[in-house]
Amino acid sequence: MKKNNLTSMGKSFTKYILIIGALLILLDFTFHRHEYFSFAEIYGFPAFFGFVSFVFIVLLGKWLRKFLMRKEDYYDQ
Amino acid sequence: MISNIIPGLLMILTSFLLPTIPQYFRQPAMLLSVGLSALSLFNGYGTFLEWDVLGLNLILYQSDSLTFPFSIIFHIAAVLVIIFSWHSKNLMEHMATIAYAGSAIGALHAGDFFSLFIWWEATALTSVFIVFAGNTKAARDAAMRYLIIQVSSGVLLLIGACLLLYQTGNHNLTVLDLTTDFGIFIFIAFGIKAAFPFLNGWLQDSYPESSVTGTVALSAFTTKLAIYALARTFPGTDSLIWIGAIMTAFPVFFAVIENDLRRVLSFSLNNQLGFMVVGIGIGTELSLNGTVAHAFVHIIYKALLFMSMGAVLYRAGTTKASELGGLYKYMPFTTIFCIIGAMSISAFPLFSGFVAKSLIMSSLGGMGMVLIYFVLFFASAGVLEHSGIKIPYFAFFAHERKSKVKEAPINMLIAMGIAAFLCIGIGVFPKYLYQILPYTVEYQPYTIDHVISQLQLLVFAIIAFLFLVKFKLYPSEIKSTVLNSDWFYRKMLPGIGKPLFKKIGLLTEFIYENLRFFFRLILNKSHKFSNSSYIKVTTPSFAATILISILFIMLLIVLL
Repeated sequence: MKKNNLTSMGKSFTKYILIIGALLILLDFTFHRHEYFSFAEIYGFPAFFGFVSFVFIVLLGKWLRKFLMRKEDYYDQ
Repeated sequence: MISNIIPGLLMILTSFLLPTIPQYFRQPAMLLSVGLSALSLFNGYGTFLEWDVLGLNLILYQSDSLTFPFSIIFHIAAVLVIIFSWHSKNLMEHMATIAYAGSAIGALHAGDFFSLFIWWEATALTSVFIVFAGNTKAARDAAMRYLIIQVSSGVLLLIGACLLLYQTGNHNLTVLDLTTDFGIFIFIAFGIKAAFPFLNGWLQDSYPESSVTGTVALSAFTTKLAIYALARTFPGTDSLIWIGAIMTAFPVFFAVIENDLRRVLSFSLNNQLGFMVVGIGIGTELSLNGTVAHAFVHIIYKALLFMSMGAVLYRAGTTKASELGGLYKYMPFTTIFCIIGAMSISAFPLFSGFVAKSLIMSSLGGMGMVLIYFVLFFASAGVLEHSGIKIPYFAFFAHERKSKVKEAPINMLIAMGIAAFLCIGIGVFPKYLYQILPYTVEYQPYTIDHVISQLQLLVFAIIAFLFLVKFKLYPSEIKSTVLNSDWFYRKMLPGIGKPLFKKIGLLTEFIYENLRFFFRLILNKSHKFSNSSYIKVTTPSFAATILISILFIMLLIVLL
């Protein structure tokens, strides 16, 4: 029971987020979203930009570990 | 009478009196001093106190539409910190905190560069004790580095102020530019405290080393004082747009891989300052309003996030992501408050970050700055990553926790509750925030375009997170140190300096050794000479031969 708590929470959270995400994309088709820059008015552009940025940040950060990560006591040596 | 006292000065006086006040009355006394100082907010705008000293006219107390919002939020932050640290019995930290908050408020009301310099150094000298109060070896070392950097900033400011006075005959706070040498000195002085790229190492170095309560106090004042100073002296300076954009984007990557959650928040603080710096760089009424609004809401939600991590540190004993997780079950209120702070900083609609950040984004959009606009849009996804998801996820969820911990003490919950209330209140009723901004601008943050666009960005960034976790692409937490710009003076300079000085030491030793050898040689010769029988008759002593040798050497030196 205890172990399932977080997993079930995660599952329902994922479900709701996916539903909200789908709704947001559908909403984009119902009206013309005005933006400062015309290319940002393409359907789902902020969604795409958010997704790609996030993946890029995490993966680049992970790669940067090669150069930036040291042992915990690095400065004490 | 009280209207002519410099705001914040009473708080500093209270700090000196604190040791004489019985323990249970210390926090009420501190609150009272903040309340009395806050009465200055009703004074209106103008110059209230000047002092002629050494032929200089120092403006010690002035206020206008730019100081006003900063003064309000500094007073609110001081109250939050006092409530949050109500349980603490650490006298030194209380004294330092109230004096630090007082100095920062005093600095806002300085009308010339010399008065500003005095307060500038006062914030440095008081806040260093807050870092010191972390009371570990790491904290003490960090405090010394912090002091050196902060005082250097003050010295640069003083040099700039002197040059300004010498070259123009004026020392009042005015708009400067980067074509003058004093402008550059003052710019760098402000830039150090505003944590510009490569000048930012002190921030992530010192803030996370401070105590449970100390970091909350530190997060509010120093950097925002620098933002205020930049907004007053360098509005519309183009280079600030680029500097700010770099500040929003770069700390994001460091925050992804940092293990200490309070250090993650320090990187996030740096990224938030970037948004404000961009606003100053654009320099329009809308963007400067955006900077002030962002500083205002930022102080609240950043304090809220640092408070929630402070509570975690207080109860669980660590803020290392690799050792936390599952706290939601034991600290439900802290979890909720932390999530409110996280949603505010991520700029979800109906939270305070949204109504402030929109001003800056709109001014960028209005000016057609497409590249910077998308750098900041990208950085918004980054904010969601490190402050919106990473902080609450790794502290309170991630995996089940084995050992029990208690919920945060009631005073901490009250402080977090007030901050959370303000985050939502400002988000829902932004007009109250907009009313106190320096310029009157009609602005409506809640347009359907804007809300949908922001929600799409945030929701799909969250989906990206779930996707990365699902496919095990999200970097696991590793106990580690992440290199930052403080590496230059913590490793690189000592790395060059130590061997260099060692070499110089060896060289001087070598020279001395040889000199000693020559000296012995001469000494022996002269001994021999003075002891030989034929010379004994005419030369009375050994001393004479030494004298002659010295004279000979001197002659050689002169001739050469």
